[in-house]
Amino acid sequence: MSEEVVCVDFWANGFGMRVRIALREKGVQFELKEEDLRAKERSALVLEMSPVLRQIPILIHHGKPVLGSINIVEYIDEVWKEGPALLPADPLDRAHARLWAHYIDKMLFSTQTKFLKSKGEAKEKSKAELIESLKQLEQVLGDGNYFGGDEFNFLDIMLIPFSSMFSGYEEHGSFQIGVECPKLMAWVKRCRERESVARTLPDDGEMYQLHKAWYGIE
Amino acid sequence: MAETVKLLGTKGSPYSHRAEVALRLKEVNFEFLHEDLAHKSDMLLRYNPIHKKIPVLVHEEKSIVESLIVVEYVHEAFNGYAILPSDPYERAMARFWARYIDEKVIPAFWMSCWTDGEMQKGFIGQAKEALTILESQLKGKKFFGGDSIGFVDLAAGMVAFWFGILQEVAGISLLNEEDYPVLCRWADDYCSVEAVKESLLDRKLLVAHFASKKEKIFATKAPVYD
Repeated sequence: MSEEVVCVDFWANGFGMRVRIALREKGVQFELKEEDLRAKERSALVLEMSPVLRQIPILIHHGKPVLGSINIVEYIDEVWKEGPALLPADPLDRAHARLWAHYIDKMLFSTQTKFLKSKGEAKEKSKAELIESLKQLEQVLGDGNYFGGDEFNFLDIMLIPFSSMFSGYEEHGSFQIGVECPKLMAWVKRCRERESVARTLPDDGEMYQLHKAWYGIE
Repeated sequence: MAETVKLLGTKGSPYSHRAEVALRLKEVNFEFLHEDLAHKSDMLLRYNPIHKKIPVLVHEEKSIVESLIVVEYVHEAFNGYAILPSDPYERAMARFWARYIDEKVIPAFWMSCWTDGEMQKGFIGQAKEALTILESQLKGKKFFGGDSIGFVDLAAGMVAFWFGILQEVAGISLLNEEDYPVLCRWADDYCSVEAVKESLLDRKLLVAHFASKKEKIFATKAPVYD
């Protein structure tokens, strides 16, 4: 029954892309309910399912909401055991994966937002921080094909949605991520060949246009 | 024999507290290595080179950092007490509320203590709202984890013990029995749990510590836990 799993999300929401990729990796049928984040007010559904933070993505399973993209992907992994394991089995590897997932949320996301919003010297400073964060993540990737080693997994899912903004960052900052982080770009290309990723990630150009309008970038 | 489990932390830190309680609940033999945060040890810099923060759990020479991640690791790596719920939905909810405490409850409360004027009024409003929402999660249960303490209770350890101390030093009364009877009752129950009692410093010591650092914290808004 496809109505059993509902994902409330916005097409350009990187956090929501994580959820949609995870569901597709597991082969779970789901209904996508679009929530336009450009609207000032959240829909009645979001207010009902996420009353405290009023945020998306929301996964609704058997009528109950699961909130927070990292939580949702862990939940998907724990509930749908058929299909590839998204998180590693070993507790240490899991701790490592969670640590970097939260790093992406705390460091990368806030830095990229600052970068898109700022001008002049502040923009140059946050551009340097953004490159630093990407380089840090490239180090975590190491020489593996994926953050999960040989297998595409949790941490790849956490980061790959940001790649839909890479060409936007490049245009905004006049630099090339491929020059700064070649291994990371190779990883992006590899991930985008996966069906779950290709189906989920939006067009780069459309992503940047939306964010330009959002942040008032000329 | 050197213990294979070491916890680098300080008694003054509510984040270190989470990790310590988790280890005690699981009855893990561990060595507590007290860090002087003003003079970070080589060990800390070796095991947490990127963030250089405590707590750091070292297990068979591998390090785990970030308090909530350490607690989940302890839950998964050691047998015994179940810190997180077994049901995936309940687990997802526990993780949500733990992060809510870190992202909404603690920052608002902290800033309420160390600001003044209009800014303080704003933070107090936010803190009150967050505490009300947190309290509602107890709805008829003894602990956030149910009959025994769990992930969310550990995350809220700062609320149970440190909040009373901080507000006393700051001269405000946010978390009080009149406004938050259920949360205050929970705080007493939490602090009475054996594993928690063993982890907590004497209250007077902590009050004296924060009182001595009050001016510095007011100026920088940065915590000084040791």
